[in-house]
Amino acid sequence: MSRLDPRRVQAALVCMHLDPAYAAAVRGPGPLPELADRERELLRAVDPRALAVDPYRRARAVHALLEEYPATAALLGVPAVDAFFSSAAFRTCAFEHGSMALSFGTWLDDHAGGPGRIEAAIARARRPRAGAGEGLACNPCVAPLLVPAGSLAFLERVRARLGPDPAAALANARPSRERPPRGRDREPLLVEAGPGGEVSLGTASEPLVRLLLLAGDGRPHAALAAEAVRLGAEPHEADELLAGLVADGLLVAC
Amino acid sequence: MPDFLARVRALPRLGLGVSTEYGARRQDGALDPLELRRRRPDCAGFLEVGVEVVKGLDADARAWAAGGLPTTYHFLDINLDNPDDFDPPWLEGVRTIAAELRPAWLCGDAGLWHLGRRDRGHMLLLPPVLVDEAVAPLADGLIALREATGLEVLPENPPGAAFVGELHLLDFFARVAERADTGLLLDCAHLAMFQRARGHAPLTGFDGFPWDRVVELHVAGGRVQDTAGLAWVEDDHGTDVLPDTWEIAAEAVARAVNLRAIVVECERNPIDAVLPLFDRVAALWPGRGPEAA
Repeated sequence: MSRLDPRRVQAALVCMHLDPAYAAAVRGPGPLPELADRERELLRAVDPRALAVDPYRRARAVHALLEEYPATAALLGVPAVDAFFSSAAFRTCAFEHGSMALSFGTWLDDHAGGPGRIEAAIARARRPRAGAGEGLACNPCVAPLLVPAGSLAFLERVRARLGPDPAAALANARPSRERPPRGRDREPLLVEAGPGGEVSLGTASEPLVRLLLLAGDGRPHAALAAEAVRLGAEPHEADELLAGLVADGLLVAC
Repeated sequence: MPDFLARVRALPRLGLGVSTEYGARRQDGALDPLELRRRRPDCAGFLEVGVEVVKGLDADARAWAAGGLPTTYHFLDINLDNPDDFDPPWLEGVRTIAAELRPAWLCGDAGLWHLGRRDRGHMLLLPPVLVDEAVAPLADGLIALREATGLEVLPENPPGAAFVGELHLLDFFARVAERADTGLLLDCAHLAMFQRARGHAPLTGFDGFPWDRVVELHVAGGRVQDTAGLAWVEDDHGTDVLPDTWEIAAEAVARAVNLRAIVVECERNPIDAVLPLFDRVAALWPGRGPEAA
């Protein structure tokens, strides 16, 4: 990586603005494989004080995540959300034209249990991307998921407690002592986002959710038909079932 | 297509104007563009509308456009150097809004408007990396937007406290304008920020700059701040314009032979507080338009 890429320099500068530790790493002697020597040299010339002229920049970024992940923040605490901006996952988002909300959801993994997974699914449904596979895909505005039973009720309870301005409520709150459900029983859910960003959230049948999960970014029709049969459909009904899901807008052609 | 110095002849002379962006007037005492035009039409010859496609136009911008009054479209949501940012829904949104505003041209800061992809909470504004390698991608984006909209697209020098790269900002934009064969919007307050950050005099780099490409100027108030001993300028769009900005503006008006418009950026201030500012800018540009006679 010897050619200077101005977009890479700018992505690194964004990370330096948001993460003083990364700015120190750029100035330090350790290896930084994401930057070419000349790129790093340019960034080292930046006066560190010039990166600190906007003391609320990181707080605004955290606020944006709190709006989409209020229950997660209530469970883990705002500092845990803040830590994302010092992570390699955030830097990947900045360098690879990503989405903070989606990258945060991936970084979060299972740390906030079912409620965190539901909030990540909402973020995905609000940011639809066309499937890259073949055949039929799950509608990108629909996010199917299986979470521990009771997760949806838990999420709704926490969100109701936080009220209409969750970020303000979270600012002075301690992490909740409540733990999210972790049992073996699964709760099949569907998140659906409308064109205006409005979201509906509800339970669905487990076979349907499993079929949509398999469809993902796109699967051949035959593979989905076989899965439908494995999940309980009669062989002669499989094609009709898939056609119905297409008509309902849950599956879309790639 | 004729070259820009031929095309610029077809651009209207808009005179002095005022800027707005979505919801700017929610702040108490903020400027009402139509009221300014009623009271002082010479100060509000046009409205520069700051647009995020996802937000659309607010009531002020819509009312102005509905009256058939002159506008310019100032984008707030495109990283011009990134082809991924030119997605079809965004371009369609730009065309729809432009159809309503009927702007004389598009313009906007040629910097990083958002980290990652265009998304909630991603907005920021950082200047371009001032190296030769950044010239072509930016110029390509300007051309792409011009071709997609059929309107001239004037890149503006963004504000900043941290400038990266060895080129002088004016040299950088000169190269971009040459490569894209386009006009320029020079923000005098932003340039003053750069000159101060680099330890230059206000007019450093003026010689050799393609002043005949400068179509629009911005003049705005700013405030000197201190961070751990680093003096920097906050671009607050207040009524106190720094002496460096006045010096730059006066010289720019004198050199910009194809100047068509000056925006006084003061959208969050009451009309009575900003009229002296307009009067001083008007005095810099006596030949600004028919209404000046």
